Amino acid sequence: MEERLKEMGERIRELRRVAEELKDIGGDIEAVRRNVERILASVRILELNICDVEDLERDV
Amino acid sequence: MQERSIYWNPILERMPREKLQELQLRKFKRILRWAYERSPFYRRLYREAGLEPEDIRSFEDIRRVPKVEKAMLREVQQRPPFPYGDILTVSLEEVTAFRQTSGTTGTPVYQADTWQDWEWWSECWAYILYAQGYRATDRVFIPFGYNIFVAFWAGHYAAEKIGCEVVPGGVLDTQARILKMQELRCTAFMATPTYVLGMAEVAREKLGIDPRDLGIKRITCAGEPGASIPTTKRRMEEAWGCPVYDHIGATEIGAWSYECTFQPGGLHVNEAFFLVEIEDMETGELIEEPGREGKMIITAFDRLAKPCIRFDSKDVIRWADYECECGRTFRLIDGGVIGRADDITKVKGVLLAPTAIEEVVRGFPELGDEYEVIVSKRGEMDDILLKVEIRPGYEGSREEILARLRDQLRLKTNLGYRIEVHPYGSLPRYDVKAKRFKDLRKRE
Repeated sequence: MEERLKEMGERIRELRRVAEELKDIGGDIEAVRRNVERILASVRILELNICDVEDLERDV
Repeated sequence: MQERSIYWNPILERMPREKLQELQLRKFKRILRWAYERSPFYRRLYREAGLEPEDIRSFEDIRRVPKVEKAMLREVQQRPPFPYGDILTVSLEEVTAFRQTSGTTGTPVYQADTWQDWEWWSECWAYILYAQGYRATDRVFIPFGYNIFVAFWAGHYAAEKIGCEVVPGGVLDTQARILKMQELRCTAFMATPTYVLGMAEVAREKLGIDPRDLGIKRITCAGEPGASIPTTKRRMEEAWGCPVYDHIGATEIGAWSYECTFQPGGLHVNEAFFLVEIEDMETGELIEEPGREGKMIITAFDRLAKPCIRFDSKDVIRWADYECECGRTFRLIDGGVIGRADDITKVKGVLLAPTAIEEVVRGFPELGDEYEVIVSKRGEMDDILLKVEIRPGYEGSREEILARLRDQLRLKTNLGYRIEVHPYGSLPRYDVKAKRFKDLRKRE
């Protein structure tokens, strides 16, 4: 499970990075900015479900 | 494969308790710092108590964090920014949803949520519904007035997230809702216990439909304690021919607890998203042992716009002394919310919880679903009047039923009652939360 957790954590961080880059590129295009905000809200839920645990495992 | 079928997230729901507690401590520190750095209300509260975020290093330290009461939330609403006050951690532009409390205990509290918070709300509900067996194959009917009260809003979005097909039963009346459920062959619905029983009565008596023939496979309750009161739960399950599950949540908190399909007699606390502390109602001492009732103090770890940190909910709960066979490591509270600290009142010198009366009345199949309790003063003495209805066909046994009812009430509540029998169907019916307990002494 630890390997799987790590792999999922990496992918979620990647999702955040890509979404934030897209938001920057989108600039003042509301259709991009607002939809990325929604994607990031879902990414946050993935972080609560997966990355918080992964961080804990890593630090322990 | 088995695990996938019953857990929404097995990583959190089956986490060893030691790790879970470590996670809780980290998340508590995170939300405290978030609130301290961004919310003037929380910063004032903590600075006045001489507390800085770095002071929190252990669970013992959490006990030093000042509690938040509903009156404080009402008071802060008088400050800018309108209408929430300076408890907010985000700008008003980031707020995407308004909800408010029902106001049954005073001025309503306004709740601000960002889209992030709303995703979190529906995630909390996804844990609940998945644990109660909701799947993508379900067609879920939601018969509530979609409005300013949070009620089943997040349940709607969570059901969609799980993949269910959701039928919003908003402005339809009860008969139309039942007919729509029948027409669409819905498999599940969500309602208050009062309305679950009310719908069954309307189906039987106004439409000539036996609710058990509608094919409902599961019902989720909220808003009232009924689904955790064994006699009320049994009544609902018998009426609809399917399991009825409880869940507990609140506008200011989130959806923090749920019953799973194993129905162990208690509800799991979602400890990955919430910290529940139980305090002795008189001494304030922390209660860790099972079976001892106390007041719940709750923290939502991930609610951001208007954080909920050590909120004194006034809900009375107790830890269970049993475990659930479902395999979740989340602790159980026994019998759901037993009452509210401000509802439990002294009558004739005896502490009385309205839920105890409900448990007795609903245990009599000869009595209708509705009842009313009125506490008043007769001269210098407290008086309790209980109004009930006898179901058609049982009127001939009226005296025998009332004698048994008096005995059971005396046994369960240590109090004597005046009992009035009203014609069947004449006591008030409610669509959402019922107001069956009236204490007139406060007005006298």
